[in-house]
Amino acid sequence: MIRRSLAIVTIVAILTAAGLAQSGTGDSWPTYHGDHSGRHYSSLKQVTVANVKNLSLAWVFRTTGSSQGGRAAPAPAIKAMPLMVNGVLYLSTPNQVFAVDARTGEQIWHYAWPGHGAIGNRGVGMFGNWLYVATPDNNIVSLDARTGKERWSKKMVSVEAVNFSSSAPVVIGNHVIVGIGGDGGGSQSFLESLDPETGASQWKWLTTPGKGEPGIETWPSAEVAARSAGAPWLPPTYDPALNLIYVTTGQPTPTYNGKGREGDNLYTCSVVALNPDTGKMAWYYQFSPHDTHDWDATQVPVLIDGTIDGQPRKLLAQANRNGYYFLLDRTNGKNLLVKQFAASNSYLGIDNGRLIPNPAKEGSPGGTLVFPDSDGAANYPSPSFSPDTGLFYVNATDAASIFYLAKDPTHPTGFGRDSEWHLGLFNSRLMALDYRTGQVRWQQKYPETAGFWSSTHPGVLTTAGGLLFSGDPSGNFIAFDAATGKPLWHARLGGTTISNSPQTFVLDGRQYVVVAAGDSLFGFALQ
Amino acid sequence: MIATLVLGFALSIRAQQPPAGARGATPAAPPLDTAAVERGRLFFAQVCSFCHGIDARGGAEGGSDLTLSPIVVTDPGGRQLGEFLQVGRPEKKMPAFPLPPAQLSDVAMFLRAAVAAGDRGPAAVVVGDARAGEAFFTGAGRCATCHSITGDLKGIGLKYSTATLQGRLVLPRGTGGYPGRGSEIPPFRSVTVTLPSGERHTGTLLSVSIFSVTLQDAAGARRTFTRDENVPTVEITDPLQAHLDLMTTMADKVMHDLTAYLVTLR
Repeated sequence: MIRRSLAIVTIVAILTAAGLAQSGTGDSWPTYHGDHSGRHYSSLKQVTVANVKNLSLAWVFRTTGSSQGGRAAPAPAIKAMPLMVNGVLYLSTPNQVFAVDARTGEQIWHYAWPGHGAIGNRGVGMFGNWLYVATPDNNIVSLDARTGKERWSKKMVSVEAVNFSSSAPVVIGNHVIVGIGGDGGGSQSFLESLDPETGASQWKWLTTPGKGEPGIETWPSAEVAARSAGAPWLPPTYDPALNLIYVTTGQPTPTYNGKGREGDNLYTCSVVALNPDTGKMAWYYQFSPHDTHDWDATQVPVLIDGTIDGQPRKLLAQANRNGYYFLLDRTNGKNLLVKQFAASNSYLGIDNGRLIPNPAKEGSPGGTLVFPDSDGAANYPSPSFSPDTGLFYVNATDAASIFYLAKDPTHPTGFGRDSEWHLGLFNSRLMALDYRTGQVRWQQKYPETAGFWSSTHPGVLTTAGGLLFSGDPSGNFIAFDAATGKPLWHARLGGTTISNSPQTFVLDGRQYVVVAAGDSLFGFALQ
Repeated sequence: MIATLVLGFALSIRAQQPPAGARGATPAAPPLDTAAVERGRLFFAQVCSFCHGIDARGGAEGGSDLTLSPIVVTDPGGRQLGEFLQVGRPEKKMPAFPLPPAQLSDVAMFLRAAVAAGDRGPAAVVVGDARAGEAFFTGAGRCATCHSITGDLKGIGLKYSTATLQGRLVLPRGTGGYPGRGSEIPPFRSVTVTLPSGERHTGTLLSVSIFSVTLQDAAGARRTFTRDENVPTVEITDPLQAHLDLMTTMADKVMHDLTAYLVTLR
């Protein structure tokens, strides 16, 4: 069994290495993004534009014992991307891991870590028969996938220093790579690589530089940089040919008050390319210099093998929380495009591929009206790129808030006394962008009067069957024609929006499409 | 429009009142125990701080400033807090957190320390020019088209905190937290559904998606119509459309000036 699973992992690695353009996720779903490209594109095509009308519910799995709480989900919600390996789904909620029979939706085992609820959990990582999950109190726990029995746990950092680790570990070669850090904690976050057998540390990359290191010139001092978050809470993507992982980072803290942290605040709100064997940085690009609006950059850095001006290019695309679409050369981090895709009023312009923040649009004691709000134009749920259509798909929203800073705060930390009046969420929509230009090819606007926000932003899946799966603000799970945006099939999944990103796999020759809504996971297949 | 605005304000006022039981005699406070404060702080950081901030003064995600909460401020012993945590406030996304007595006592102790530590800066400061605000109100902003300072806005400066007033003058819908998903927030929109036969149904919009629309008609009946490719046709009218149009281009100075003017209406 160990050998068989390792062989599958190896095959996936080889397929990925063979070229992003030809592959897509295959029969299984062995890692957070399905494959390492972050495209959420599947090469499966049993379910097609022609037959999707016959898609039917195969099973429902309802989680129990989820102790989620707090801002995002007073009701339990599956935000994780389940893995599907050898007919078993592995999914997680804060402090909980479930193994579920992917053919029937029946629970195989359930593991509970003693701890309190938190914002969410993005999923588990897998190496052979071993699973890895992060807990809200910053432990990494390894389980035996066959039994759900705990192998070991490792305290990564104290709860006091960092709150709410939620990222899904990603396995690259013999590295279990985990992002530690939550949000607004006023502390240092990091990415660490662990030995899959023992949990021993292989390397650790701090998201902000120390004294004398490159980038420290973007901070007033090393002391300020060291307590300024930048949490890498989204699993990275990976290019095996370049041997680089692409890690996105969270916002600096104090989140709203930038007055004590003058400068661009590297490497917050950035994507960094790291060597997965050493943790050494190859390059970085910062999406939101000196962010003061909670626009973390933990949206998926999608790897596209494309063509620009007739030349094949290795690209990285991201639809950022700040309302702009970015295209980079992923070999060197050079910016190729910055294109607005949602309402924004807080930048003065673009200088040589860098957004110039407008200081007048920082929060203030009198209040500052800002588009988008802190939840952003897009958020962490996965967008998708289909090599068949050449389109980059993302759920987006226009929103505004009035940002306030406490008057003359003496020692701002975390979110401090600073606050935000949410005016509303408007014009939520599914957008299809030309990946080269960011031009809108089509969009499905949703008429709902309250649109997507961070916890209700559905992810997107595209398939070689010409389909796009996602959801609307009313909680419908929808299949669209990926080329035209025409809705072809839908089902309302019980009063909550799609809470993760749809995924697909094949078992016994049957293609399943699986998605979470609230505390339940739904499996669909052709009738 | 005036009627719907008043309805919106009334709901907001109700939402701001402290919960029943929050007022009354203040129980004697136990002495501050630093070990308990520390235990409470760790628990709070792990469980509560995402919404309410590490210092309990409110988080970015809409959790309230607990150092201003009547439940906390008038109840240093934690009894009211314990009762509140049994049920939470689900309608405001605050889940129930039934705590064992020892933990409850620690959290109450931490909150007491947080109240004692707090500086009480206003959430919003009036920085605008009231005369410029008045000029915009009666002139370019065309606010007087719908509003009257002797009618619906009479005494408005006494009804709201500055932050609430400013938020609601930009968009008089919601209370500054995240809007509810899908369901309507007053003042309600109206909708007309026209069937292929030409038959029309008009009423208050209850919900709408690309697949269905639900309205309540004048007789109080709830009607749902499924939609396919925009059939039947759906026309939605928002009484706040003028606010929505204005906010997309509103300069901060205009917003500040209007606030400075409205706070003078007492």
